[in-house]
Amino acid sequence: MSLITVSNLHIEFESELLFESVDLTVDAGEIVAIRTEVLDGGTTLLKALGGLLKGCGGSVIYKDRELLDDPDESIYADIGFVYEEKGLISLYSVYENISLPLQFHHGVGGQELADRVLSACARVGVDEALLRRRPHELNDVQTRLVNLARALVMEPGLLLIDELEGGMSEEMLVATMNSLHEHQQEHSVAIVMTTSSDIVESHADRLFDIHEKGLTSLERS
Amino acid sequence: MDQQLIPRTLETVGRWPRQSVVYVLDIVGLISVALSACQELTHPSRRRIFVSLFMRQLYNTGVRALFVNGVIAAIIGALLMSRLFDYIPASVLADQYGYLFVVVIFRELGPLISGIILIARSATAVTSEIGYLRISREFQVLKGMGINPVFLFLLPVFFAFPISLFLMFVYFDFVCMLSAYAFIWFSDPTISFHTFIVSILGQITMNEVSINAVKAILGGMVIGVISIHFGARADVSFDEVSEAISNSTTSQLMAFFLINVVLSLLAYTQ
Repeated sequence: MSLITVSNLHIEFESELLFESVDLTVDAGEIVAIRTEVLDGGTTLLKALGGLLKGCGGSVIYKDRELLDDPDESIYADIGFVYEEKGLISLYSVYENISLPLQFHHGVGGQELADRVLSACARVGVDEALLRRRPHELNDVQTRLVNLARALVMEPGLLLIDELEGGMSEEMLVATMNSLHEHQQEHSVAIVMTTSSDIVESHADRLFDIHEKGLTSLERS
Repeated sequence: MDQQLIPRTLETVGRWPRQSVVYVLDIVGLISVALSACQELTHPSRRRIFVSLFMRQLYNTGVRALFVNGVIAAIIGALLMSRLFDYIPASVLADQYGYLFVVVIFRELGPLISGIILIARSATAVTSEIGYLRISREFQVLKGMGINPVFLFLLPVFFAFPISLFLMFVYFDFVCMLSAYAFIWFSDPTISFHTFIVSILGQITMNEVSINAVKAILGGMVIGVISIHFGARADVSFDEVSEAISNSTTSQLMAFFLINVVLSLLAYTQ
């Protein structure tokens, strides 16, 4: 059975139709890439998949729970969202940003909390020196990596990643994707990523394109 | 005659009471949301997060306000209460000075000035923080992590503001007494500190302490909730934050003065 099942997802803002009908299933341990271009609605689609968008039609079922019907907040502990921009709480340090969901949902504290935060940071290449900084002191790539570390530290069942590659060198992106792949293998996490990078696409099990207000499956070259 | 004139006039006249009712209901709603978020405190790990945020808020609101609170208390003590001492006839001084100190400082000026300092220093900061968090969509980020922003931002303010305000009352009264005594002593070194303090403390009853506690609890709670309410109304642009701070400060001043006046009238009118 699929981990997440999207049926007839319809996204419309005022008079602008973004997605007419999206159908998608993702299994545990699978990486799905959605090829995206500027302003084609990739970020919005990803937010809808994570149940973060109000007023969508259709259905997004994750582990038997309908995400579009304002589910119990505990479900979000099992869904990690990596924002392309910002996504951190500006009043808190990087360390507090990464540790907050772990403390809040799993009650982890003390040395275990520090160890898990440091381990997630090491995995995605977030320097320990950044942990004391505030979000406004980070550049876009660092911000995205901190977002990724915060998502990984929770060990979610589903990870939604919005254009990870922006501003990264090819070498850095390959290293980050390899780390992500390792994590995915260890924890059997399902990953849905929007991307415009061949490197990210090459790590995906399935590839989709946003086409005519829906998703079209693409053959891997 | 314009046929729309009467409906338009009625709409204009009716808008203010309607907005007022909606505003009061919003504030009551926010208080009930804060109270219901207290359930989260039964969870030990969340309680730890709350305690750390609460202590941070208490430090920023109560402790860091001590300097300005002390300076204003010292000035009022020196200029008002030491002068008053000179005007009271020596024959009734022992009975009357303590009573006047309690009526003027302990009952009214202490709470009012401490409240104004809380509004000016901390409530405006909370409004701007919440407005900024709203505009930069950070509440949505919290929702995406399954964390209720009310727990993280409203609850610490909801508890820290009343406690800070009460501590500010006490500190204000204390500094005002010391400052008044210092200036009185300059003009008449024969006045003993013990006699001076006893004449004031002897006039403070449990009634006064209780009313001040109620002023701090109600006033702090309302100031905190109003600051969050207006901050959360900012949505898109930064000029909304400036407007929110302005509206929030006006509303807090009006609400806090009203609470003070009503409680004083109820408690101290014979």
